[in-house]
Amino acid sequence: MSGPLTGLRVLELCGPMGQYAGKLLADMGADVVKVEPPDGGEARRVGPFVDDVPGPNRSLSFWYGNTNKRSVVLDFGEDGDRETWRRLVSAADIVIEDRRPGELDASGMGYRALGAANAGLIWCAITPFGQDGPWAAFAATDLVSLALGGAMMMNGYDPEDAPGAPPIRGHGDQGYATGCHYAVQGILAALLWRDRTGEGQFIDCSVHEAVSSTTEVALPYWFTQRVNVIRQTGRHAAASRTERWLQRAADGRWTLIFGVGRDNASWKRIKAWFQSKGFGGQFDEPRFDDPAARQPGRGSPEAAEIFAELERFIAAHPAEEVYRGGQERRQAWGVVRSPEENLADPHWEDRRFWVEVEGEGREGQPVRMPGAPYRFSATPWALRRPAPKLGEHTAEVLREWLGVET
Amino acid sequence: MSELPLAGVRVCDLTWVIAGPTATRILADFGAEVIRVEHGQAADPIRFGRPIAGERPTLNNSGFFNYFNRNKKSVLLNVRHPLGMEVLHRLIAVSDVVIENFSSGVLESWGLDYTAMRGINPGVIYCSISGFGHTGRDRHFTTWGPTAQALSGLTLMSGLPGKPPAGWGYSYLDHTAGYYAAIAVMMALHHRNRTGEGQAIDIAQVETGMVLTGPAVLDFTVNGRSWLREGMPPGNRAWEPRIAPHNTYPCAGEDRWVAVAVRSDAEWEAMRRAMGEPGWAADARFAANAGRLAHEDELDARIAEWTRERDAEAVMETLQAAGVPAGVCQTAGDRVERDPQLRARGWWTAMPHPELGESGFDGVAPRLSRTPGTNRTASPLMGEHTFEVMTGTLGMSAEEYAELEAMGVFM
Repeated sequence: MSGPLTGLRVLELCGPMGQYAGKLLADMGADVVKVEPPDGGEARRVGPFVDDVPGPNRSLSFWYGNTNKRSVVLDFGEDGDRETWRRLVSAADIVIEDRRPGELDASGMGYRALGAANAGLIWCAITPFGQDGPWAAFAATDLVSLALGGAMMMNGYDPEDAPGAPPIRGHGDQGYATGCHYAVQGILAALLWRDRTGEGQFIDCSVHEAVSSTTEVALPYWFTQRVNVIRQTGRHAAASRTERWLQRAADGRWTLIFGVGRDNASWKRIKAWFQSKGFGGQFDEPRFDDPAARQPGRGSPEAAEIFAELERFIAAHPAEEVYRGGQERRQAWGVVRSPEENLADPHWEDRRFWVEVEGEGREGQPVRMPGAPYRFSATPWALRRPAPKLGEHTAEVLREWLGVET
Repeated sequence: MSELPLAGVRVCDLTWVIAGPTATRILADFGAEVIRVEHGQAADPIRFGRPIAGERPTLNNSGFFNYFNRNKKSVLLNVRHPLGMEVLHRLIAVSDVVIENFSSGVLESWGLDYTAMRGINPGVIYCSISGFGHTGRDRHFTTWGPTAQALSGLTLMSGLPGKPPAGWGYSYLDHTAGYYAAIAVMMALHHRNRTGEGQAIDIAQVETGMVLTGPAVLDFTVNGRSWLREGMPPGNRAWEPRIAPHNTYPCAGEDRWVAVAVRSDAEWEAMRRAMGEPGWAADARFAANAGRLAHEDELDARIAEWTRERDAEAVMETLQAAGVPAGVCQTAGDRVERDPQLRARGWWTAMPHPELGESGFDGVAPRLSRTPGTNRTASPLMGEHTFEVMTGTLGMSAEEYAELEAMGVFM
């Protein structure tokens, strides 16, 4: 079994902003060739590094964002290498690039010059703001994209937790990831069109538009009521303040409590659990039997009492126990984990979620990292090779794609 | 009107809330015929979701629902009625894709696992989004977006050091799980175009967050470092690459902020000039990135003194003119009413809706030159297309429709 994109040739000219799009295609079987400058460029200079020692093959963000790709080094300062790029484009089904708008066209290496000769070519340009418009030449990083796209104004703190706190950016280059999720959606829609007609096309992917389309309730509030939502600690931004969701457990960790006993069956289970631990004796009183009285946000004294008792209960138990106990009773509760804490959760072992890679500085010592975001029954995700070393496949790819011996 | 890239693809849409409807919104934007199967006795809670137009929810006046369900059709079907289930089988038989985001096990309890669906439609693509997936010991656990964000690590990676997690102020992973589902369905359609083979896709919402933490996991498995250590998360300061200044700064007005990210010493020099070469900025401690990082508190305080007097838009324009990445922390109102980039690119549109009036929408990203996605209709009223789909798509006679309706199948 191999991935659903097996047989597709993808040329990727991307740094930190766009390379995750190439990974998504490569992990599903496409032959993704990453074209890099002789020094590897910015993508290989982003840490963390193996043992904190920088080096083109030691970037862990590169290890993660470039699985299943091959690396070809071309020096665009050289005529011959620019010509090689053009020939690689002519042999490709898909090109993904994240250069500034017009940059490749200016040297005859962009879609304008090369698209006509390859009618089936799908060319996806990922840029911070799109190919045109007054901000097309503006510079951006992930932080700037999350600011302008509206994500940050929804994340932050209640005044009592951090007075005057700024809007907060969630880490992990989520703006870049969101841009890449949209880029791949566009590439696949174009691919389905090409399946029917043989026609390729140009895709203009603006990270700004992608992030702006990923802000859930913010736009509906504006469109419907002309209201901007306000930031709250660890929970949804809303038109007005809502109950807290984060509660601190006995071990100092944070639990996330998303509703309690919304229906009578789950309330019965929660009540029995609390009372078995010596909490919530008063819950037997009939005034707690009405589901409407138990919901926060309606100002009922019962809801306030339930949440006060819940806070005492959680403060007396470890976070993981609260999480699992709640889930066993059909509550969509969570625990706030650091990413690596999932390594110890056997559920992900059961699903074989983690994959192992080796690389410079860890030869013969495989280390774990996240694997598939989806399970396909017929054409599964697979780690076929780790991220490439700089220029590792230049000769191999030029031979396979162009029939050129170097 | 240009053709749509997914024209001819029919989706039997059993999704609700946000993650599933996000996936089918994308497929619908690109031209798939998305038929929402809805249930009068267990309506999609988002049909009551705020914001709404007017005082009371009516099932059809939610701006929230409208945003996630444009370009789709809605049929009412009582799947608890044996004949209603039979109708669902007929719909599956003529669909290319079946997609749902119930807790894992629900569709199985309807007698509709992948094996059963394949019996009805051998080439079907069945996509399921659940909290923890269909395998593994905790597969019966459930999530909403915030639960999945907390478990995946994304909530913890957002916040100021020494404070509670700020997390995400919305269901980022409902969007993202929907994105992965749309991507997966389109990949499976491509495979089916080549081979005729359908398949089942199992998506666990928590995993769609875990895949967005790769470098943080590797920093632990390779270097033994956790995000739980002192000083983390770093707020809006940079994690990797470690650069400074990199933060949000207060501007003139109420709750106005600008984000600035200086990537190199050359960009710092450009920023220093753009600020009018204040005396403090000439300090040799700030000349190189390492020095700026070592004195980041002082650097941020000085920059804030400069921004505090100025409009956020003016700071952004000044710094961008000097080539320095900077951007206003925009509200939804800023984006819709002021953002000149989105306006110039024709990003906003409105479509008529019987209870919401001219309802606002954003455009379709990304933009395909030959076959762009389009906005065609606002969200459907509950059951708006029941008759049309039953008599058209399924070829029922008007008599059969009336008979089934009288028996309570379409409710």
